[in-house]
Amino acid sequence: MDLRKKRKFINKVALTLSMLAMAFGLFWLAWILFTTLQLGVTGLSLDLFTKMTPPPGADEPGGLLNAIVGSLIMITLATGLGTPIGILAGIYLAEYGQRTWLGQITRFINDILLSAPSIVIGLFVYAVYVAQVGNFSAVAGIFALALIVIPVVVSTSENMLRLVPDNMREAAFALGAPKRVVVMQVTLKASMAGVITGILLAVARIAGETAPLLFTALSNQFWSVDLNKPMANLPVTIFKFAMSPFKDWQEIAWAGVFLITMGVLGLNIAARVLFRAKHKL
Amino acid sequence: MSISDHSYKQFDAELESLRARVMQMGGMVQGQIMTAIDAFTSGNHDLMEKVIADDHRVNGLEVSIDEECTQIIVKRQPAANDLRLVMAVSKIVTDLERIGDEAAKIARIAKMILQRDHLNTPRIGYVREVGDISLGMLRGVLDAFARLDAVKAAVIIREDQAIDEKFRGIMRQLITYMLEDPRTITSAFDIVFIAKAIERIGDHAKNIAENVIYIVKGKDVRHIALDQVEHTAQSNGP
Amino acid sequence: MNDTSQAMMMNEVAANLEAQMAFKSLDFYYGKFHALKNINLEIYKRHVTAFIGPSGCGKSTLLRTMNRMYDLYPEQRATGELLLDGVNMLDKKVDVNALRAKVGMVFQKPTPFPMSIYENIAFGVRLHERLSKSQMDERVEWALRKAAIWEETKNILNQSGMSLSGGQQQRLCIARGIAVKPEVLLLDEPTSALDPISTMRIEELIAELKAEFTIAIVTHNMQQAARISDYTAYMYLGEMIEFGVTDQIFIKPKKKQTEDYITGRFG
Repeated sequence: MDLRKKRKFINKVALTLSMLAMAFGLFWLAWILFTTLQLGVTGLSLDLFTKMTPPPGADEPGGLLNAIVGSLIMITLATGLGTPIGILAGIYLAEYGQRTWLGQITRFINDILLSAPSIVIGLFVYAVYVAQVGNFSAVAGIFALALIVIPVVVSTSENMLRLVPDNMREAAFALGAPKRVVVMQVTLKASMAGVITGILLAVARIAGETAPLLFTALSNQFWSVDLNKPMANLPVTIFKFAMSPFKDWQEIAWAGVFLITMGVLGLNIAARVLFRAKHKL
Repeated sequence: MSISDHSYKQFDAELESLRARVMQMGGMVQGQIMTAIDAFTSGNHDLMEKVIADDHRVNGLEVSIDEECTQIIVKRQPAANDLRLVMAVSKIVTDLERIGDEAAKIARIAKMILQRDHLNTPRIGYVREVGDISLGMLRGVLDAFARLDAVKAAVIIREDQAIDEKFRGIMRQLITYMLEDPRTITSAFDIVFIAKAIERIGDHAKNIAENVIYIVKGKDVRHIALDQVEHTAQSNGP
Repeated sequence: MNDTSQAMMMNEVAANLEAQMAFKSLDFYYGKFHALKNINLEIYKRHVTAFIGPSGCGKSTLLRTMNRMYDLYPEQRATGELLLDGVNMLDKKVDVNALRAKVGMVFQKPTPFPMSIYENIAFGVRLHERLSKSQMDERVEWALRKAAIWEETKNILNQSGMSLSGGQQQRLCIARGIAVKPEVLLLDEPTSALDPISTMRIEELIAELKAEFTIAIVTHNMQQAARISDYTAYMYLGEMIEFGVTDQIFIKPKKKQTEDYITGRFG
């Protein structure tokens, strides 16, 4: 009887502690979301999507059009560049080079890259590209973002492919399928949901990166879609505007923060839904 | 053939119980025959009634052992030697029950003879003698079953021929009686029936012996020449 | 054995028994572990051969040598001969994918591919044959009918194979295996993950399929082996202990080891 009471008591204490920990985490998250929402909504207007970033002290209200478009272009191209490389490397690691020394080394380097601070990547691209060419450009920004996408996609693809049961591979081999067919038509297909989830998470990650763009794409006050010139983008614009003394700039910065937060939140939710839907058998 | 160390201890217990109950039924049937023959030779009316009254106990055992076989088949799905044992037991109890019936038949006929005409009954020493042989066969075949001894079972099958021989001897003797004194004809026929019943006991004992060989050797030796049966029983292997 | 049954046996030997596959002094190794020891065995054409034995006795390994599944793993190797229609399949010159087109396999767990029911069947066929759309439609229907799952799937051919129940998935896998029109079908505990009704349907299916295919099945269910196979092989610790007609193995095995195993006196 005593034992049971003691057990119940310990259980209650543990439960309370874990609830408190959860509440602590949720509290900050809710605060962040609330602040973003509160400050962001005031700056939210149609102008945000139709007007360019305003010059300092402008009379008419400005928007973020050039930054939004710039971000979309760079994110899309960086993902388009990094994803195939990442998936192919992931396939190599999971299906071919599992136990080879090259596979081990690749995996090790990829893990380092995965945890490298994004500013290091920004500086790296600055050193090898921007400094050589002599000017900031969208291309440099795309390279930097792609370098962030690749390790995320490599790691998720590899893990997702390894989740495919060997049974399924053997079943395909048993029909007389050569390895490339087994990989491309069976295992990759089976892990597609997971791989796409990884890509979405990578996109969410680069959507908010400021540091690598600061040294590469920089930013642009004006409309520009030339990949060889600096290009406006949300994170750097937000950084710049938020630091400024101008009230209207600060408002626009908060609206930008709101956009990115919602976008990343949406991507995360989409990734979760997709992953769950595919893995419910 | 190993009897124990089944992975399922419960299954061991069930098979052991099955064998024990066959032995119990065999002992009961032996007793019935012994009492029936005693009753006939001594003319003891009470013993005759007892044999007739006790027949239902033999029948009851047959039904319950058969039920046990069915239970084992459905619960354990026995294979190989276990399967052969269960199938054979199911047949053996039928033969034992028939032997029980023969004992009751002997008692009933003895009762009729007793009631009808004491004086005109020929005294046949042979009946006792044949009865003893068939009892010996039954005892022997139960022993062979208990020890799963195929060689002994084959000996029993050969003994059945001796009983048939004795039966013909009794027939000859009775015919002599009937020729000498026609008043004995009715009773003589009754005795033929008793002798026939005893002879049938030998047949059933032989059937049981064949089943024992089936359990041990896995070979069905019914309807096969005797020397071949003996050859099977003495062969090596399962 | 009396004369008539002996004569019947002789007749069967003359009429039907033709070896489809034959193992000749086959040894198998997982690295240094000697998993199969000097296996000599014939698998008869259009008959069901069952492999029984305790876990780890090598029965699944034996099945996996029959389509050289072990090729996938560098540390596994086989020596000796495995003849398929008289040709040694262990010869390095034999194209393993061509061998696997002739020897299909169904696994313990149903493994439908992540594609539609139709594509699950067509996948294997496309690897070995070029068929027109209508020919492929016919082949898919033929395979699904043969595997007794056509009625349940004919209206949902475009749905994912994963949406079927476990028993249906397993029949889909059997359909996928026979769609390639193999000569031999290897079944590795095909019903151990299924409920009794699905198991019964697969067993019935096996009885029908043996009219056209040679079947080798590994099973832990001895009653299943007794029900569906014509020949049974009992293996223990990598050795073939006894091989014979199924009825004989289950009623009167020759070896005491076999008898102990099938009557549950093992270990």
